Amino acid sequence: MSALEVDGITVRFAGVTALDGVSFTVAPRAIHAVIGPNGAGKSTLFNVLSGAYRPARGSVRFRDVDLTHRAPYEITALGVARTFQNIALSGAATVEENLVLGRHHLTRAGFTGTALRLPHVRREERRHRARVREIADFLGLTEVLHAPAGRLPYGDQKRVEVARALCVEPELLLLDEPAAGMNAHESALMAHLIRDIRDALGIPILLVEHDMGLVMGIADRITVLDFGVRIADGTPDEVRRDPAVQRAYLGTEGES
Amino acid sequence: MTQFLQLLAGGVSLGAVYALLALGFVVVFKASDVVNFGHPALLMIGAYTIARLGLSQVAFPLAVLGGVLLAALTGLVVQRFLVAPIASTSVVTVSIMTIGVDILAQTEITRRIGVDILSIADPWGDRVVRLGAVDVPQARVAGLVSSVVLIGLFLAWFKLSRWGVAMRAVADDAPTAALMGVPRKVISALAWTLAGGLAAVAGVFITAFPTPGLQPATASVALAAFPAAIIGGLDSIGGAIVGGLVVGLAESLAEGYEERLSFLGQGFHSVMPYAVMVLVLLVRPTGLFGTRELHRV
Amino acid sequence: MSKVDVAVPVTTVPVSPRRTRSLALPAVATAVVVLAAVPFYLDRFWLTLGLFAFAAAVAAIGLGLLLGQAGQLSLGHAFFVAVGAYGYTYLAGTSRTVGVSHQGGLGLPPLIALVLAVLLAGLAGLLFSPVAARLRGIYLGIASLALVFAGQHILANAPLVTGGYNGRTVPPLTIGGFGFDDGAPGTQLLVLGVPFHREERLWYLGLAVTALAYLYHRNLVRGRPGIALRAVRDSELMAGMMGVPVTRYKGYAFLVSSMYAGLGGVLLALAFGRIVPVTFDYAMSIEFLVMVVLGGLGSAAGAIVGAFFVASLPRLLDRYADVLPGLAEPGGDGVSPAVAARFGYAIALILLLLIEPGGAAGLGRRVANRFRRNR
Ligand SMILES: Nc1ncnc2c1ncn2[C@@H]1O[C@H](COP(=O)(O)OP(=O)(O)OP(=O)(O)O)[C@@H](O)[C@H]1O
Ligand SMILES: [Mg+2]
Repeated sequence: MSALEVDGITVRFAGVTALDGVSFTVAPRAIHAVIGPNGAGKSTLFNVLSGAYRPARGSVRFRDVDLTHRAPYEITALGVARTFQNIALSGAATVEENLVLGRHHLTRAGFTGTALRLPHVRREERRHRARVREIADFLGLTEVLHAPAGRLPYGDQKRVEVARALCVEPELLLLDEPAAGMNAHESALMAHLIRDIRDALGIPILLVEHDMGLVMGIADRITVLDFGVRIADGTPDEVRRDPAVQRAYLGTEGES
Repeated sequence: MTQFLQLLAGGVSLGAVYALLALGFVVVFKASDVVNFGHPALLMIGAYTIARLGLSQVAFPLAVLGGVLLAALTGLVVQRFLVAPIASTSVVTVSIMTIGVDILAQTEITRRIGVDILSIADPWGDRVVRLGAVDVPQARVAGLVSSVVLIGLFLAWFKLSRWGVAMRAVADDAPTAALMGVPRKVISALAWTLAGGLAAVAGVFITAFPTPGLQPATASVALAAFPAAIIGGLDSIGGAIVGGLVVGLAESLAEGYEERLSFLGQGFHSVMPYAVMVLVLLVRPTGLFGTRELHRV
Repeated sequence: MSKVDVAVPVTTVPVSPRRTRSLALPAVATAVVVLAAVPFYLDRFWLTLGLFAFAAAVAAIGLGLLLGQAGQLSLGHAFFVAVGAYGYTYLAGTSRTVGVSHQGGLGLPPLIALVLAVLLAGLAGLLFSPVAARLRGIYLGIASLALVFAGQHILANAPLVTGGYNGRTVPPLTIGGFGFDDGAPGTQLLVLGVPFHREERLWYLGLAVTALAYLYHRNLVRGRPGIALRAVRDSELMAGMMGVPVTRYKGYAFLVSSMYAGLGGVLLALAFGRIVPVTFDYAMSIEFLVMVVLGGLGSAAGAIVGAFFVASLPRLLDRYADVLPGLAEPGGDGVSPAVAARFGYAIALILLLLIEPGGAAGLGRRVANRFRRNR
């Protein structure tokens, strides 16, 4: 049984085929890495999964629900949460407010109820803010909860992104380069964190990351993309030994 | 049939002038990411200068030159001293700045015009040319010819010259343009100057016969540049030209067939550009030729 | 990067519940108390000034919600103000013939007419929302121009509602038998020795409505809808992926903002006592925009300050024309007070954007910070 089935996804932009018939499946509690050189189509894949791009061909099924033609907010409501490679936080808003946004699909307060501060709205707010504080605590963000998110150091902003995705109470977590720009120590902490999240929530995690040490250390399975084409798929050991991967990716690898 | 041809001719010649106006507006947007709400003010400054110079017996070509220079200079000054310093903020902020400029300029010009209607003192007067069965005011023919020539020159320049190519590059991808050795600031300044000049020329034909002349209400005619640009797509040069023609034709036809459109109320033709704009936006939110923005995260 | 997705407005006033709670509420309470005392000390000129300012403030808060929170620019605000003003006038007015013009009216109780007029403005906003909700900030700004021009066209062609170019009298508001007018002939309402005429009564109405409008906005932007709207403003794509139905929320913002405009329109009609179509033109839309930008985007208190400034400036200049240098008497040459006022706020707008894009609210914050540091 698989939690996520990606089947023959093709995405084209003017001139570029960013993804070309990409297929793979993700097991229910797997940490599944997607790797590949710059421009391989990894972020494009995430954008398809979360509903921002509509693929020219192919389908995505999450727990037997077709995601392909759903709006981003509907996909979030199904429990698919993500982080962004280029941090997408509201910089002027506090960390807390950014996290509360993740609760949007779990809360109901409407325009009128909120404006009148009806009792059920206040109750809801109290309950969800408490949960937000719990999650912030789990990620070590309690201290900065009331700081503007844009003022935090880069690494902290990355953690706010992860925390916000957790606030969605995800059933599937998509992490786009969570350790980018981190030093070895921070990166190791992030690896632990990812594994802790999987163990605590028991959900599948799809991980895009250039840090090979991190990927090889925690991934259960790896899919390799190059120029939009899937060139390998297997366990870390299988992928490491794959000649196509060595040629296309590891051989040319200049970073980390 | 004759009436239709008549309206068609009127619409195309008016539309060509709108195209000129929309072109400047779009060029500014492409080059500096600013929706210039002060565009009508540039037209008013140009047209007012030309009319004033005409009243003091300056020869028409010289008056036009004066108006074009002043409007172009205004564009440049606004870009340099008001827009550039806050260019790093958002599109909306800078665009609101241009609203401030528009209020300032329009208030002053309206005050100077007062209740008068200033004649632009053009050489064509109220003469008409007969083309087949159709009468077209000479001024409109001149407007059409001038617009075609100016737009043609602009397109050639845009495609061929180093600056034109750089301007296109800026719109697509600022870093590449920087690599080409043309700073973005220069491109912006150029675009604003150009927009001012084109607006002044458009001002001549928007106030010439059959329009009575320059009056404060001329500014709201100049506003038609906005729907024209939006119809074509805010970031499309070709779209500005098509949008201008569409607006000109729509206005002219609605005015000509006013009786048959009486259920829409009197004077509907002045709302026509906006009605067409809304219809286009309902179908294509970025206009006919605007790029469907793909955004990345 | 696509260039249009940077349509994030100027500044964002951080809504930090802690700080606002400790600072703003006492300030607002003080302002309300001071304003409530005004009718006992100032004459009719100042009261009239206030009525227009209150009306403008309510509408401006709505535009501030749209632009400052949702990041959507509208130049069509005057249209919804007109719907409110004429909606109330028509619904509460009576059908009659004045001179040669016939005016329609439903003769509803004024309070019901007021509520319906606000709903009507909301309905108008809803009708435009297929356009409004799908467009992004700056595109909406231009598209909404259509509203002002359509509005002027409709008003010009509906003499039955508007009374034609000469305008139409606005029926006074009455709530539970209490009339917001001069009262029945021969009677006089005395409060603490001060006679309460139309202006005094409407002053309290304006104050109460503005205070409620402020509170509504304040609660809204702190809660779930406000957080969602600001996310949409900062990045539509991000907001969508965080679970916000972006199109729907932009539609909501437009709806609420047009209802604010409608309510402001009713107050404006009551303040004028007689309304003419040309009032609700493009220039009026621009004035609302100037108010919210001067006040500081995202701040309701700022919008109120901006509204007081822009609405009062021409009247103040007019009143003090003889002592101010360079201003002309009506009819004389020189700069008329109305023109001077336009110069005034245009220059204020330009300077503010150059110096402090946070508007008056931003300036206020700076001053407050300096204070804190000095202590
Ligand atoms: N919105 C878009 N418009 C046009 N082209 C795009 C768009 N998004 C992605 N592309 C192109 O698709 C290709 C794949 O890009 P993508 O961002 O998915 O790569 P990636 O694997 O995430 O790379 P990186 O490791 O650098 O993040 C690239 O050539 C990119 O330029
Ligand atoms: Mg990527």
